[in-house]
Amino acid sequence: MRGLRKVLTPFAPDQSGAVSVLYNLGGLIVIIDAGGCTGNVCGFDEPRWHGARAAVFSAGLRDMDAILGRDTLLVSKIASAAERIDARFVALVGTPVPATIATDYKALKRMLEKKVDLPILTLPTDGMKLYDSGESVAYKELFEAFAGDDVRASEGEELVLGATPLTYGDSYTDVTLEDIESIRGRRLVAASSSGIEAARLTGKDYEIRSSLAEALLAGEKIEGKVLVCHDEVFGKTLRDNGIDCDIATFFTLHDEIKQGGDIKITEEDEFTSLALSGRYDVIIADNCLQKLAKGYEGRWIDAPFFALSGRM
Amino acid sequence: MRREAVTYTAKQVAELGRDNIPSELLSGQGLVYSSPATLAYNSPGAEGFGVKRAGLSVPESVMLIVSPGCCGRNTSIVSSMPQYEDRFFYLLMDETDLVTGRHLTKIPDAVSEVVSFLEGQGKAPRVVMICITCVDALLGTDMERVCNACEAKIADTGIRVRPCYMYALTREGRRPPMVHVRQTLYSLLAPMEKDPRSVNLIGNFAPMAEGELQRYLLEAGVKNIRQIGACGTYDEFLKMASANFNIVTNPEARASADDMSRELGIPYIELTRVYGIRQVALQYQALAQAAGITIDLADDKQEAEQAVFDLREKYPDLTFNIGECINADPFELALSLLRYGFKVDEIYATLAPEKFRYVAKIAELSPDTKIYCNMEPTMLYYDVSSSRAHISLGKDAAYYCPDIPNVAWNEDVQPFGFQGIKELMARIDRALGEVTA
Repeated sequence: MRGLRKVLTPFAPDQSGAVSVLYNLGGLIVIIDAGGCTGNVCGFDEPRWHGARAAVFSAGLRDMDAILGRDTLLVSKIASAAERIDARFVALVGTPVPATIATDYKALKRMLEKKVDLPILTLPTDGMKLYDSGESVAYKELFEAFAGDDVRASEGEELVLGATPLTYGDSYTDVTLEDIESIRGRRLVAASSSGIEAARLTGKDYEIRSSLAEALLAGEKIEGKVLVCHDEVFGKTLRDNGIDCDIATFFTLHDEIKQGGDIKITEEDEFTSLALSGRYDVIIADNCLQKLAKGYEGRWIDAPFFALSGRM
Repeated sequence: MRREAVTYTAKQVAELGRDNIPSELLSGQGLVYSSPATLAYNSPGAEGFGVKRAGLSVPESVMLIVSPGCCGRNTSIVSSMPQYEDRFFYLLMDETDLVTGRHLTKIPDAVSEVVSFLEGQGKAPRVVMICITCVDALLGTDMERVCNACEAKIADTGIRVRPCYMYALTREGRRPPMVHVRQTLYSLLAPMEKDPRSVNLIGNFAPMAEGELQRYLLEAGVKNIRQIGACGTYDEFLKMASANFNIVTNPEARASADDMSRELGIPYIELTRVYGIRQVALQYQALAQAAGITIDLADDKQEAEQAVFDLREKYPDLTFNIGECINADPFELALSLLRYGFKVDEIYATLAPEKFRYVAKIAELSPDTKIYCNMEPTMLYYDVSSSRAHISLGKDAAYYCPDIPNVAWNEDVQPFGFQGIKELMARIDRALGEVTA
């Protein structure tokens, strides 16, 4: 049945992706939820939370707040926090609750701008899309708010986009607000699907490359036909380095990467069919997918993917 | 500008009065800081027994979580525990489901497919719990009706289908999720002949640690002491309906006890987890009176007193910081420790008006004890350096006080009464001893 998961747990959602991009940028991040979504983000999808405190807050919505659409109360809570917390911007991150009650983010932004003297970012994530989508939304909002025409940085200075912990685990690369402000003058590397979306927004040329895949290649000798199930950039990097592979991804597969055997998959049994098709000598994927490939007799190379398994 | 976490002393709070508790110490007054305590509470599936684990307390049950993907995301933590393997399933909602409600018509087919899948593995369940979340709370979904449709779809199997509501939006309402989930569990029980020598302990999901309470009941002639977490099979769980009376050990089970009293004719007695020796003794005396049994608690009481005495002798100036991720009411625990002669420097807990009575008494014994609220946004700036505590209690307190020993005291299997006091004293002694060693 479409949408039914019998083996895998749900993947990192868009709201986690949005927070992942914003996490270390010094903003006051407000997840518009009752509390559970914030628990999922900070308690599970954001490994950096365990290492350092960050200004990530739940709006603490209650049923009557949602039913009556008490935006004024929400604005007042945020304004009160903004007075007492040092922040460079305020980001409102959506969840299923505002999606259900059709929260008007533009109105919220206008109301907040009258109370808080900081840039207001609104990210209408809804918990039903996947993390790469949320990361892309976050980059778009950041660029609109902070990417100026500053070209002081030298053309040779590299800026990696899309290397958040959700794709890269503990090998993530943080981006700073200063990076965003000087993005027009930087040499861009799209390190994941959301990195491609972000780089495209700038209108500049960019390189597509995954250091994670390069690290894997440095430690493994891979021969034969390969199925790689990870982020699309991870797969493309393997291919660019001479691996004969097809890419299967649960996340976005851009046309500029897609080749003949590549496929965007959604359901568990789609992966099972591919794995057991007999076409592949090697599968490179997170070990959590092995349960879907019972009977596969080829070589399996573990490629941890936090957004899938929550494993670093 | 120097930023600081907002705090009030017990004396300040006591002087303001029950009706004027500072808003920074209360729940629901502002944005909620992502502290360990609020995350554990906020995310009912994340730690301890949230709705998801609680819903699977019934033996031979599985759960279908019908929700946006984000709601089931952290379940992989629970799923990795051996006892939950092949017990969680997901029907992921998309934006069209949200608008049209079409996901509701898919649930019976999804339940049927899950049951077939499990039957194929020789793991046919007896109960399917359907867990729904904030979205369906706002849509006003009639889950009883959906569950009836599911039972009809798999009528040949006799499998029960019941709803679990993981509605974080309602957590401060009349029936918050952890109250409701207990009602769901015990609603599976059907009336049966009473066994005058059977008693249920309800409130905990994991079995209560063996201790004096069970011994008192056995000495009074009780033969069967049943707890949901100790039932190995569904049929054994169903025998809880034969109990002569229920002992409620967690106030969140009170509504279930009311239901069982009404539907099954099982009366109940409530015991509260407290750490004051005198209060524990009074509770047992009340239990003896209500149940018409004799309880000789002298030895247990004396042992608890001795444990407290020994710790105080060994560490006469022992000072605590106390969090709220703990098998205790942090304010009651703080008061008890102060009455034993210890010191309490800081408490990290949300202060509900009904807890004010403890703060008023704390203020008499230790007016300078500082109270912080885990939810308050300025906890981002909490600085432990001014604290004089030697040890922290509660898992969340370890987060704020990383450089002193900690006793988390938040395990699933919990000791109770005098035994709880004795074990807590022993654990504190051990934690301090490890540092000294």
